Amino acid sequence: MKHRILCALLVTLLSLGSIAALAFEVQSSPNPDGQKQANSGFDAQKAGERIFMANCSRCHLPPTSITPRTTGTIIMHMRVRARLSRRDEQLLLKYMAP
Amino acid sequence: MRRLFAAIAVFWMTGFLNAQDDDINHNNAGHIPVISGAIGYIYNVNGGVPALSPQINPVLLVPFGSHVLLESHTDFIGFFQRKYLTHGPYTGKVFKSVESAQVDWLANTHLIAVAGRYLIPFGLYNERLSPLWIHDLQDGPITSAIGTLPGGSGDGIMLRGVLRQNPSYSIQYSSYFSTNCNVNQLEAARAAGGDASIYLTNKRLEVGGSYQRFLQDHEINSVATYVSWEPAHTLLDVKFEFDRSYNGYGYWLQTAYSFNQTPIKPAFLKRMQLVGRMQQFRPLNGGGNSLPQVNTNRIDVGLNYYIRDDLRLISSYGRQFNSPTNVNIWNAGFTYRFVWPLWPERKK
Repeated sequence: MKHRILCALLVTLLSLGSIAALAFEVQSSPNPDGQKQANSGFDAQKAGERIFMANCSRCHLPPTSITPRTTGTIIMHMRVRARLSRRDEQLLLKYMAP
Repeated sequence: MRRLFAAIAVFWMTGFLNAQDDDINHNNAGHIPVISGAIGYIYNVNGGVPALSPQINPVLLVPFGSHVLLESHTDFIGFFQRKYLTHGPYTGKVFKSVESAQVDWLANTHLIAVAGRYLIPFGLYNERLSPLWIHDLQDGPITSAIGTLPGGSGDGIMLRGVLRQNPSYSIQYSSYFSTNCNVNQLEAARAAGGDASIYLTNKRLEVGGSYQRFLQDHEINSVATYVSWEPAHTLLDVKFEFDRSYNGYGYWLQTAYSFNQTPIKPAFLKRMQLVGRMQQFRPLNGGGNSLPQVNTNRIDVGLNYYIRDDLRLISSYGRQFNSPTNVNIWNAGFTYRFVWPLWPERKK
């Protein structure tokens, strides 16, 4: 009985994940304005800075001492921890390791 | 049931592959193994009893491409007290605990799959504010034990990501299932739960809620609701959380202000951060389970000084009002955040 409940719970979780992935993929595509803004390197850096201020600074100060060679790994880690979008990750990389 | 599970799993993985985002902007960021974390040394006096607490919390990060990350976080926390509490030589030991050991699959914006041992996403504190180099006050909130037992970590799977994002707001979610585990350093309870929050970009306001169903022994529910607000053009940070479970309920309200943008002289004073927190807890059904068994109120005031963004001096004073006794709690020390590359840089 317990095994069945566990399986049912797991299936529910996976189902919700699938639905979320497929249902919202189109809706949250970057808007044309945002895409246009991020096309130039400078604008992408400014956008990255805004994303940093909106997300990362809710918990900690800007990490100025992180070198570009480690930035990709750190941002991956923070993307998981802070539930950042793929686009946020790219703009943060542009901001922190242009 | 197994066939259904297999079908859903295949469907889910297909969704992953279809949803891969190949648009990678050019940058100079490296994806190499890194050991990060924090070192700290805290001198604590609680009710007149001094204690020393050296700590190191290494976090190993090993990326495999830009979509898979292996991460492991272990805490080594020393606790040394005087032999006769207020006098005599210091004695004690170092406690170690594996906070997380997980594989992350960053499939796309909406789905990040986590497997292994992970920090339980419940409320603001456990997952986001608990690292040594992040929290502004060294003692965690009284209610931090709600929704995070037995040790703040779960063993199992977690799905998380961004449900919807546009320039005005962002909705994020986490959902997890943890199995019962009694292996040394990997202890976890059977539980399921989730967290969701909405962040209003222009208001810089986040509102969220967490839920957990404990699925072993006494099957209990735990809930939390929280607010995080950083007003625009200031360095004020306001956080509030209310938690409730079978063993009690309570809230904490914390404000932190950095003097970075304040026109004060001399300039080195701009590196200061002033923190205040108040909290109240009321036990239910006798309390316990790492929660007080009597009504408890507490206020804390802290002053931190950032020598650099990764090195800070910390100090705080707290007064705890319990029904039978009141105590003063002092903390002083430093924290240092480190990020060390473990591998020569590999160009993308």
